[in-house]
Amino acid sequence: MSVFYFVAFLSIFFALMTIFTKNPVHSVLYLVITFFTFTVHYILLNAQFLAVVNFIVYMGAIMVLFLFVLMLLNLNKDTEPLKSNLVKFMGVIAGMCLLVTLAASFRLLQISDPVVLKNPDIGLVSNLGKVLFSDFLLPFEISSILLLTAMVGAVLLAKNDPKKV
Amino acid sequence: MSAIITLSLLAILVLYLGLFKARRALLPVSLLGLVATVVLYGVQWGKTAEPLYSGMVLFDHFAVVFSVVCVILTILVLLLSKDYFDKSSPHVAEYYALLLFSLTGAVLVVSFHNLAMLFIGIEIMSVALYILAGIRKKDFASNEAALKYFLMGAYSTGFLLFGIALLYGASGSFDLAAIKEYVVSNPQGISPLFYAGILLLIVSLAFKLGAAPFHFWTPDVYDGSPILITIFMATVVKTAAIAGFLRLFYFCFIPLQDFWVPVLLVMTIITLFVGNLTAIVQQSVKRMLAYSSISHAGYLLFAIVAIGATSANSVLFYVTAYSLSTIIGFGSLILVKRATGSEHFEAFNGLAKKNPYLSLAIAIAMLSLAGIPLTAGFVGKFMMFSGVLADYQVLLVVLAVINAAMGIFYYFRVIVAMYFKPLDRDAIVVSGPYRVVFFLAALITLLLGVYPAWLTGLI
Amino acid sequence: MESELLSTPQDFVPILIQLIVAAGFGVGTIIITHLIGPKVRTENKLGAFESGVEVIGNARQPFSIKYFIVAILFVIFDIEVIFMYPWAVNFREFGLSGLIEMFVFMGLLLLGFIYIIKRKALEWD
Repeated sequence: MSVFYFVAFLSIFFALMTIFTKNPVHSVLYLVITFFTFTVHYILLNAQFLAVVNFIVYMGAIMVLFLFVLMLLNLNKDTEPLKSNLVKFMGVIAGMCLLVTLAASFRLLQISDPVVLKNPDIGLVSNLGKVLFSDFLLPFEISSILLLTAMVGAVLLAKNDPKKV
Repeated sequence: MSAIITLSLLAILVLYLGLFKARRALLPVSLLGLVATVVLYGVQWGKTAEPLYSGMVLFDHFAVVFSVVCVILTILVLLLSKDYFDKSSPHVAEYYALLLFSLTGAVLVVSFHNLAMLFIGIEIMSVALYILAGIRKKDFASNEAALKYFLMGAYSTGFLLFGIALLYGASGSFDLAAIKEYVVSNPQGISPLFYAGILLLIVSLAFKLGAAPFHFWTPDVYDGSPILITIFMATVVKTAAIAGFLRLFYFCFIPLQDFWVPVLLVMTIITLFVGNLTAIVQQSVKRMLAYSSISHAGYLLFAIVAIGATSANSVLFYVTAYSLSTIIGFGSLILVKRATGSEHFEAFNGLAKKNPYLSLAIAIAMLSLAGIPLTAGFVGKFMMFSGVLADYQVLLVVLAVINAAMGIFYYFRVIVAMYFKPLDRDAIVVSGPYRVVFFLAALITLLLGVYPAWLTGLI
Repeated sequence: MESELLSTPQDFVPILIQLIVAAGFGVGTIIITHLIGPKVRTENKLGAFESGVEVIGNARQPFSIKYFIVAILFVIFDIEVIFMYPWAVNFREFGLSGLIEMFVFMGLLLLGFIYIIKRKALEWD
């Protein structure tokens, strides 16, 4: 349990650092660390497949994409326009509303029944595969349509049009 | 299910037709495939529906009717695309394919029976649209629309996922039937997390619908995207969003009505006023239609505020009336913009003299959007209002009538410009497919206004 | 495979140790070189090393979108491959139907791949 609190503290700490740091590259690096702490969470929950996926896809591939996007932008100038105070104020109110809602609903939860997994092995790769290929077969196949859409879109938007002769 | 498979394979086929330079075949093949989809749905009609694929999708009457509406609206949009895309880019096949992918997502959203399918459906629908909004790569407004839509949309998807996760945490299942079972079986002991989950789902679905206070993306995205894509967003996507919204709440959350109806009530009122008040001051017809679509989202939410057995029917009727008129409105805007290069109200000046039939169609559409009797829009509004009145929400109806009056004001500006502001201008050439679409849409609008029973008995 | 014992978070302790050793080695060498290395702080030493060529301009320059398209396509196929992992673990158990299910998924993405090749999206013109 104490391990959980330590890692949870790290997650929140680095997530806050991601937001508050001025340098966008540092921000991305903090985000990497945040994702790493999530991987640790998954391992603590014995969700090994998610841990591996989070490690490979999120920390590896997606964060590289983030860096790529940063490199596509022009980082030299301070082009980030400053938000007006009204916008900041609205943002704080909206964020606090969400926080209060969630905190209130968590407060009402009974803490008397500690979470015990019925099947502690549920997060292992083979069990996850069984669920994925039986109950969740349709979402799995349909997600290939989603990936295909993303593929077409990436090519369509990022590829230069051939010069007309 | 065969319809969904047909749609996805059709999209891939269109993509490959584009690769092999079969440009002329694109439109006929797409239309043929969509008609085949409608036929497949028709065959399915009337059979007892069972949840398929371990409860992932359920093609009940609700799902079939709304899917058919989405597909037919897409057919109309594709007819308008006849020579719309060719000018801007060589990648017409991709545009068609993305529209079809998006339609596949929309169909999934109206027929889901598991929250995982709702999520995937919304994602497929939205991802294709993020791209389509930005297909004019050199146009700054189009780029802005795509980026804005993407960032906001991705954020709202986060809310959707968080909401689904909380529902799962409370009820232990993604399946709609299981969640309903959870709600019904312990009326006292519903976890607080469940309530938070409902709120988060409202946030993200209201975003997709474009209802205030989550509407900020709507005007800029509708305004910046190519008009044809705007038509698709304002009709098909809105239909799918409200149908998915209604399906989820009708299936699962009715016993918890006392909790979420006040929330939606407030949102509905804000949506009506924001949409109408801002639409009045617009000078561009495109922006006016964009803002008015926000107010129509408000009218659509009436059905969920007064949720019950008749909600599906009123939503179906309203959404059909609204979509047909919107297609005429934006479609004529394509023609007017092509002729005059402007989207302002003045661009419609004196249109009635030179294009009497086109003007008549636009006038019918505007009357229907404003809710004047003898048009489908009136019957739609009437059904919405009477549904709410049956729930004793008198205040809401009074406010809605005030808003309908505001709506009449700005819709009539277009009619006034066409009929009473003379201007010497050349007649606009209306090509064949446009004529067909306008004629059909106007005809159905009038027919439904006179014989509403044709559509109301379906679900 | 079924007789496999419970797999618990504790099994990851060796991996954790390895991570600590790897990270520790990297950090340790940097610290040690700082401590025991000679400290020469001239302009040349502190500048970026570009194989002896004068440094031109700024490193923070927007670069071509061509890299990005490769990266994003990589991510998409990365996700595809990740899905094969839970399938492969249960391969025998799923039998023929599992094979077909996976091939449908991969077939759709293969169509996407052929599309990419045909559109010459990965060519470096």
